[in-house]
Amino acid sequence: MEYEFTLNGVPKTITVERKDERIFVHHGDKTLEAEVRVISANAFSFLVGGRSCLVIVARDKDKKYVWLNGRTYLIQSGREEQRQAERGDDRAQKGKSVVTAPMPGKVVKVCVAEKEAVRKNQTLAIVEAMKMENEIKSPLEGFVKKIHVSAGDLVDSEKPLLELEAKT
Amino acid sequence: MFKKILIANRGEIACRIIWACREMGIVSLAVYSEADRAGLHVQLADEAVCIGPPSAVESYLNMDRIIETARTSGAEAIHPGYGFLAENPEFARRCESAGIVFIGPNSRALELVGDKVRARQTMEKSGIPIIPGMNHVAADMAEYTVEARKIGYPVMIKASAGGGGKGMRIVCSEEELRPGLEAGQLEAKAAFGDETVYLEKYIEGPRHVEFQVLADNYGHIVHLFERECSIQRRHQKIVEETPSPALTPELRLRMGETARKVLEVSGYNNAGTVEFLLDRNKKFYFLEVNARLQVEHPVTELTTGVDLVQQQIRIAAGEKLSLRQEDLVQRGHAVECRIYAEDPSNSFLPSPGKILYLREPRGPGVRHDGGVYSGWEVPIYYDPILAKLIVWAETRDSACARMAAALDDYVILGISTTIPFLKEVIAHQQFREGKTTTGFIKSFFENWREKEGPEEWLTLALAAAALDELSPSQKIAKAAGTEEAVHSPWQLLGRWRIGEKT
Repeated sequence: MEYEFTLNGVPKTITVERKDERIFVHHGDKTLEAEVRVISANAFSFLVGGRSCLVIVARDKDKKYVWLNGRTYLIQSGREEQRQAERGDDRAQKGKSVVTAPMPGKVVKVCVAEKEAVRKNQTLAIVEAMKMENEIKSPLEGFVKKIHVSAGDLVDSEKPLLELEAKT
Repeated sequence: MFKKILIANRGEIACRIIWACREMGIVSLAVYSEADRAGLHVQLADEAVCIGPPSAVESYLNMDRIIETARTSGAEAIHPGYGFLAENPEFARRCESAGIVFIGPNSRALELVGDKVRARQTMEKSGIPIIPGMNHVAADMAEYTVEARKIGYPVMIKASAGGGGKGMRIVCSEEELRPGLEAGQLEAKAAFGDETVYLEKYIEGPRHVEFQVLADNYGHIVHLFERECSIQRRHQKIVEETPSPALTPELRLRMGETARKVLEVSGYNNAGTVEFLLDRNKKFYFLEVNARLQVEHPVTELTTGVDLVQQQIRIAAGEKLSLRQEDLVQRGHAVECRIYAEDPSNSFLPSPGKILYLREPRGPGVRHDGGVYSGWEVPIYYDPILAKLIVWAETRDSACARMAAALDDYVILGISTTIPFLKEVIAHQQFREGKTTTGFIKSFFENWREKEGPEEWLTLALAAAALDELSPSQKIAKAAGTEEAVHSPWQLLGRWRIGEKT
């Protein structure tokens, strides 16, 4: 069975076949064989050629955090473009840009007004989280199309702060 | 001894203090903001009272509310932990006049050591080595210019009310002085409400070495040796250890005696830390007194066998210090790593959010002081410290190896943490050789990003994601009627028909 994931924005496709307690994973031109045991709701034990590897999986909506050998992989189901289309996300569209906060926090200040012209890297807003103020910079040169937040608002990392339109 | 103590803090340090209370048979009273109702410190405490909205100003910094809570709940003492109200002389004074014991130094000593300029004056008078620089506040720009010339560039601008690197600036030439001063004053004003700054000689490539000191209310003072805290980012410590690889027994003795003297001339009581800068020629200078329990106190506890929080409580209750300097010895080596909710691959950007999964490292010589749990939503309002991982071993080498192994075993999923970064710090050749200076992170880890792992690991991770996709394990558990224990998962998994073409 084929699976499509996205890791750091890059699509990854693997095929997994099962035979008894073994799985055969085809990834690129390589095939990996592992014996698998489900340990708990969050953990798998893999034996790969006699080497033991504990894998921990935690999920949050379409995101999976997979930990193994001291390393964490953030894996998203499906392909990036598909997900964006599903969300009605127009960030990918040309000449338009939705600015989001890099992390959840509180808007301390909105530094621009609607219709205002902005330079690239100009500070658009300041979002504070955990006692640190973070300047949100403009990714492009253009003008402010719409502002969605005001000082004091709480934002998460997906909520749009403002929309820009690139200079034509 | 006290019957009940209010802990005016949150997170890992509140939990640490609650454990001490438990062991001493003291009722612990937690206070919490509305954002922390489900916090670990609330769960651990015997009693808990909400003290206001999430914003720290309205809750953990609300002196009236906290003192009133102590009074109405019958707590005889308040432990402030670190941060928040820990070094606030006004809070200590208000506790004193309300008849509640502040577990920390008296308000006069707090005031003295909190004012960096006054502290420098006091130390210099007592013959304690200080960094060459101003011992007063300049009247105007011209005076700063004259002073800077006298000291010699490069100079360091520092905030008088300072701490945490706020207001600090390195100035290499006269042209940079005015803009540096203005920026420093602005930052100091924003951080401490006090724009006073002064100038010091900038010491190049120094180590940050501090001494833990305990003083009872009767003038008996002991030091519990040093902590080396040179590994810092943004002037904040992230890795600490003891003993310091830089100290000889003779130097340790002299610095320890100086640390004791610093507390003596400050009229200080309870636990405190005397910070020194150690230059390349092993000359040391008094930096400041941290008038509180330090984040990094566990490394001292592990090597001296002294429980610092219990000592603080005993001293505050008026007991005499039973420790004698000649009985104190350092045994083995301890290292601490601070686990922050920050993304080290992205300029240490804060990373609040829900912890989906947490597995703390275990094993011989491993201590974990944490304030979080699986399912806890790390709030956006407070300091990003989640936990501290501390290890002890016989030698520095084995302590480093133990720390590396413990970090490899540490799982926090759902938010970014400093764990991957810390692993590389601990593995770094310079660190292993004990060559740690305050410029370490800047020299070796500027714009650091986590490297990609082996291809095979990625394949396994994707395979696990696939297995998880087709067998959402909770469903298995539900089907089996057991939420946690899944005995024969493959029998259950069979129904999902792995390997069949779709």
